This record gives sequence, C-alpha cells and structure tokens, in this order.
Amino acid sequence: MKQAVSIVLVLLLGAFIFTALYFADSSPLQFKPYGDADLSGRVSQGYVDKNVTADAASEEPAAVVYGETKNAETGSANIVTSVVVNYRSFDTLGEVTVLFVAALGVGLLLSGKRRRQEAAFQPSFILKHGVRIVLGIMVIFGVYLFTHGHLTPGGGFSGGSIIAAAVLLLYVSDNAFKAKVKAFKIAEGVAGSLYVVAGLLGLALGGYFLYNFLPTGVVGDLLSAGIVPIVYILIGLKVGSEISGVIAGFATEEEAL
Amino acid sequence: MSILGYIFMIFGAAFLALGGFGVFRMPDVFNRIQAGTKATTLGAFSLILGVGLANPDWLIKAILIIVFIAITNPVGSSVLARAAYKKNVKQYVKEDGKAGE
Repeated sequence: MKQAVSIVLVLLLGAFIFTALYFADSSPLQFKPYGDADLSGRVSQGYVDKNVTADAASEEPAAVVYGETKNAETGSANIVTSVVVNYRSFDTLGEVTVLFVAALGVGLLLSGKRRRQEAAFQPSFILKHGVRIVLGIMVIFGVYLFTHGHLTPGGGFSGGSIIAAAVLLLYVSDNAFKAKVKAFKIAEGVAGSLYVVAGLLGLALGGYFLYNFLPTGVVGDLLSAGIVPIVYILIGLKVGSEISGVIAGFATEEEAL
Repeated sequence: MSILGYIFMIFGAAFLALGGFGVFRMPDVFNRIQAGTKATTLGAFSLILGVGLANPDWLIKAILIIVFIAITNPVGSSVLARAAYKKNVKQYVKEDGKAGE
C-alpha cells in the first residue's frame, strides 16, 4: 500500500516535471519553459512597484482599509504571514522540511518496539483534573492560531506547537496513556504532501511554484488571502503531528528484550 | 476607569517584583515555589485586569486570560512542588533544628 502510494506520487511528479519542461508552449497550464520564469520580477519588482489600488489606471496607491479592500495582492491582514506563506512560501517549505528531518532523526534513534516509560510516581489528582479542564481550551486555541494565521499574530508553527503541548500534557497526566503514533505519521505525511501539491497547483495555474492562485477576497475576512490560510492549516497540522510524534518517541522506552 | 487600571497595573507590577525577589531570597525549592506562585499569580491577575480596565475593549479578553492563569498557574506549581517532594529534595532546616518556617 505504502509502496503503491509512493510509486504513484513519483510517477505524478515525473509527469508534472516532464510536461513542465517539454510541453510548455502547447499545454493549457501556465508553465514557463525552463529559465524563462522571471522570479525577481514576480517578487522583488512587484514589491517595489507595490500598488494596492483596485484599478491599475489611477497612479495613486489607495489606502488599504481593513474589512473593505478587495483583491489586494496577498489579501492577508497579517503582513508577516503574507511574507512567510506567500512571497517566501518556498522558504517556509524548507523550514517545514528541516523540522521533518529533525523528527525523522528522533524517530530513527528511538525506533524499535516501544512501551511507555515507567513513571516514578502516579500523577496527582490536581494535575489530572487540571489537564482535563485545560486540554480542550489548548487544542481549540492551537486550531484558532493556525486558522487565523492570516488575520492575527500566530500561525502554523505556534498553533502546532500548542497542540503538541496538549499531547505532552496527556502524557504527563496519565501514566498509561499511549498516543496513536501511526495517526501522527499519517497526518504529517498527508499535510506535507498537500503543501507540495498546493505549490504544484500554483505552478500549473499561475506559472510559479506556490503561486497564490485563489482569489484573495476582502482583507480581514476569515476566507481571504487565497491559499495562505490553507497552507497555514496544513503547516499547523504537520508541525503539531510532528512534535507530538517526537514527544511520543521520548515518552516511551524500548521494550526489554 | 483608566486611572483605576493604572493603579491595578502598578499593584500587579509591585507584586511581580516581590515574587521575583522572593525567588532569590527564599532558601529552598518549596519556599521559592510558594513565593513565586502566590505573588506572581496575584501580580499577573492585577496587571492584566489593569490593562483591561485601562482599555475597556480588551476587558473580556483580559478576564479570559485571568481565568486561564487561575487554572494553570496553581496546577503547574503544585505539580512542581509535588515532584520535588517525591524526589526527596532537601528541605531547609533552621539552625535551631526545627523544620523551616
């Protein structure tokens, strides 16, 4: 099953690259032939000439009004997010990859049949019930942080870390707790692949990898900024499951042979 | 309203400073935890409530933050103190032989 999925993924990627390289002229997709993509024009020059006015005819840049301005270039109310997940999205993909490699290293070092580490003493009543109260709030807050990453401070990395902290609390408050590590791995892999798929869709529809191909909507709406919230949700899921997997790896120990 | 908020903020800052001082001054883990927790819980409460009063738009958020601190801060400190106790961390004993105050 795993092998079939990976073979299909590799074949799809190969077909994608092949069409991108050799059928750029005739294909309905927006591929640029190799070497023709003007990246500095897309990012640097576009940033220098930044013009948020809706009609390009008027030379004067209009002021951006929260909740009113439509179809701004990124449409993200949080400027940091518009840089991190739009202009520099490729860089963020690299960051996610770094985290993935770190989690992979932990997984390799702590591999083998594993059981829960024996705790020195039982968790107290206060901790158990405190965690029970706080846990839901933490997960909701983490999800809020990464779904509103394009509107408020926060984003995929911090939201995912908060969710992983909730998993850590579960481990601390219950000596018998064992997380479903396999589910973490599946979520991580699916979210990471979907990030790349979003990038390839941007390449196909807009001509650049990770191009923001969706309409950007009204600044300040939840459903705005094109693919920025989608990408941040994917990053949040990926980071959350990755760090949870690392925590699960450290909380268990190797089965005595 | 805003003056009341500033008074709360100063009060909270003073308590936070006292809590920080207590962490340095107290002799062992348990005393330090109680200084740190009690003083900083009240300090953070009044500081955040002061911000909420000085800027009434944030009052509800401030109260939510206070509720969250009220749940988490004592739990965290009790867990730390319990772990230290279970691990037989040495307690401070006064020179006259009685257990620490």
